[in-house]
Amino acid sequence: MRQVIIHPERCVGCMQCMVACAVAHSKSKTLFGALQEKPLPRPRIHVGVGLYREGFPNRCRHCDPAPCIMACLPGAIYRNEEMDTVLINPDRCINCASCAMACPFGVIRYHEDSLGPEGKVVAVKCDNCVDRQAKGLVPACVEVCMTNALTFEEPDTSLKRKTDEIARRISVGAEERKAETAPGFSLLNTLKKAQTEMADYMV
Amino acid sequence: MSKKYEEYTITKDGQLMLAKAEKEQIETAWDRLQAQLPQCGYCELGLSCRNCSMGPCRVDPFGEGPQKGVCGADADIIVARNFGRMIAAGAAAHSDHGRDLVEVLANVAEGKAPGYEIKDPEKMKRVAAEFGVDTKGKDTLQIAQELADAMQEEYGTRKKRLQFVSRVPQKRLDTWEKLGIVPRGIDRETSEMMHRTHMGVDNDWQSLLLHGLRNALSDGWGGSMIATEVSDILFGTPSPVTSTINMGVLKEDHVNIIVHGHNPVVSEMICQATEDEDLVQLAKDKGAKGINLAGLCCTGNELLMRRGIPMAGNHLMTELVIVTGAVEMILVDYQCIMPALGHVAKCFHTKMISTSDKAKFPEMEHREFHPENARELARELVREAVENFERRIPERVYIPVEPIKTMSGFSVEAILHALGGTPDPLIEAIKTGKIRGAVGVVGCNNPKIKHDYGHVTLTRRLIENDILVVDTGCAAIANAKAGFKVPEAVELAGPGLREVCGALGIPPVLHVGSCVDNVRILVLAAALANALGVDISDLPLAGAAPEWYSEKAVSIAVYVVGSGIFTVLGTTPPILGSMNVVKMATEGLNDVIGATLAVEPDPEKAAILIRRHIEKKRAGLGLPSIEV
Repeated sequence: MRQVIIHPERCVGCMQCMVACAVAHSKSKTLFGALQEKPLPRPRIHVGVGLYREGFPNRCRHCDPAPCIMACLPGAIYRNEEMDTVLINPDRCINCASCAMACPFGVIRYHEDSLGPEGKVVAVKCDNCVDRQAKGLVPACVEVCMTNALTFEEPDTSLKRKTDEIARRISVGAEERKAETAPGFSLLNTLKKAQTEMADYMV
Repeated sequence: MSKKYEEYTITKDGQLMLAKAEKEQIETAWDRLQAQLPQCGYCELGLSCRNCSMGPCRVDPFGEGPQKGVCGADADIIVARNFGRMIAAGAAAHSDHGRDLVEVLANVAEGKAPGYEIKDPEKMKRVAAEFGVDTKGKDTLQIAQELADAMQEEYGTRKKRLQFVSRVPQKRLDTWEKLGIVPRGIDRETSEMMHRTHMGVDNDWQSLLLHGLRNALSDGWGGSMIATEVSDILFGTPSPVTSTINMGVLKEDHVNIIVHGHNPVVSEMICQATEDEDLVQLAKDKGAKGINLAGLCCTGNELLMRRGIPMAGNHLMTELVIVTGAVEMILVDYQCIMPALGHVAKCFHTKMISTSDKAKFPEMEHREFHPENARELARELVREAVENFERRIPERVYIPVEPIKTMSGFSVEAILHALGGTPDPLIEAIKTGKIRGAVGVVGCNNPKIKHDYGHVTLTRRLIENDILVVDTGCAAIANAKAGFKVPEAVELAGPGLREVCGALGIPPVLHVGSCVDNVRILVLAAALANALGVDISDLPLAGAAPEWYSEKAVSIAVYVVGSGIFTVLGTTPPILGSMNVVKMATEGLNDVIGATLAVEPDPEKAAILIRRHIEKKRAGLGLPSIEV
């Protein structure tokens, strides 16, 4: 089954995935329409900041077994086997935050959800865009990612590609060839790293 | 015909050429737009700021992420600053174009511009008088020198207000004075906008927007107006002329030369050179029947207006014209010239020549024009184009359609002449309601909107409802291709407009020029307001830019609104990140300046908005009005 796979080295931190996620989980499904809605739809993917101020798109891993499911006392969190996705039933959620405490990745948030019950704060997290997938669309975050930091593919395909990349990197003479795919972005990252180290940013 | 091409453009020549481009694997702007999708939402909303190196910053429109830039600028400030800089860029482009013409005028006066001359000395005297130049007993060149000097002063900081502001109706000027937005110097307002939008200067979104109005007015009643008036002085004031339009103006058995860009300084010289008998003979020696010159975009509009030179197409057609395989040479000056053109031309024998010291392009040969060398260089380049005819590959030539007729050349002077010397017949027709009002349909093409659909649909609906349309720029080319600009097109107009235009023998859609020539609409509007003793904002007028894309179009839209004319845009400027700015532009401005901007992508709905507005203004003047 295809899954959303994150390639953090390609993230430029534009946060488009967050915008697209919020729009995909709005009532109107359009950017300008979503901005007029109450409550404002919110993203379920969150771009964090790395050691060197680079972006990292953080989202639910849909773990199996999932710690959040085991921690959920009212049984609001369940696994949709067909989509291999962990989902939350907002009507059952009691907003106790046990799932967030159990989640190793910090991807569960609590707020009134534009698609959930009116006026009720509930646990909200990535739903793998199951509605979009049912229509044959890829998850919204993947669709908008201009740098392929987020892809939607078979894990095996992705891992094979990664294996080949590693293999090419250790090839004899690879130093001379140094195929740079995004020199500007690499330079930016190098500069960011240098700046951070100079400022001893994370002390 | 693939359905895709019909989604891209309503024009037959465009659809057929897109098919050829795809078959020959030539990339176009539509392909590149697809590759760009989705475009960045922060930028679309105007919520990203790159003005300083504490940033770049962006404000999260959903409120979860950052709400202020590093400096503390919130969404309102960031949006207003970005919008201000768009205006500044547009005003700078038009005004620098104007400056280049003033320099040619000065060179002509000094005898350093062989080939150029004062084509309309009478107009020059009229304009010189406005600038306080004493013309009595002085020869033409002396007046030219003094006028050029006076106009160069307009660009600086020594004046309290621009000279052409004296053309503005008093009520309008009072409003500007009250708001403190009377434009002072052309470069000054643009420079001040760049200053204000620097980090730590103007951080009040309302005062930024006010300066935006002033900056745009320095274009409309300054740089652009100088560009139009000096072009008329140097190359002649347009009068009605008939020509042909669309890609069918290219001729299979001729050497085809195309001029593309905006400034007539280069294209007029090329035009002269193509008429050179030796060069025409050379073309015949090479097996062609002659030399065929055609225009693209606004430099094409300049030549069409003054000389009836045929027009090959507008902005989105510029790549496809090369794909005909029938073009020996394209000479470009500046503005709206896609850097993609040189790459397309590499697939053909077409020579690409850049001519301006300030505009170079990939895969083009740079041959710089200056007033001193223009005549000689133009002849040299036309010769090279003729010699290139032999390299054309006949099997690859495809001219997709037959050209259609169009009428052009409606300067304000020509319109008044057609009316019998005064605006009275037009005013009378408006008063009786035979003509409900007038609308300027202007602006660009944008691949986000089906090519020409916005212009043509809106214009059709307006003339059907007895609204006179005046058009410029790429909109004017779209309307001409649609067949609206022949006297017989009155059949498409409502009964009142049909009667008035029919009696005068003019089309219901009048071509008033290139995009700097939008100022002709301002001058006409001011004349109507003065004749009626009212403000421009009281008149049943509107503006529309259904397919705009450029910063220049933003400046135009803002100076048109600043001059008191309600304006409808077909694509959204990047201001939606601030509802305060949006409300000000679409509602609040009415109380401030007597006109607003509106955004309506659907031209059918835009037509209704405009008709309602016109009827409201008619009622305001006590004229018969109808329910829309």
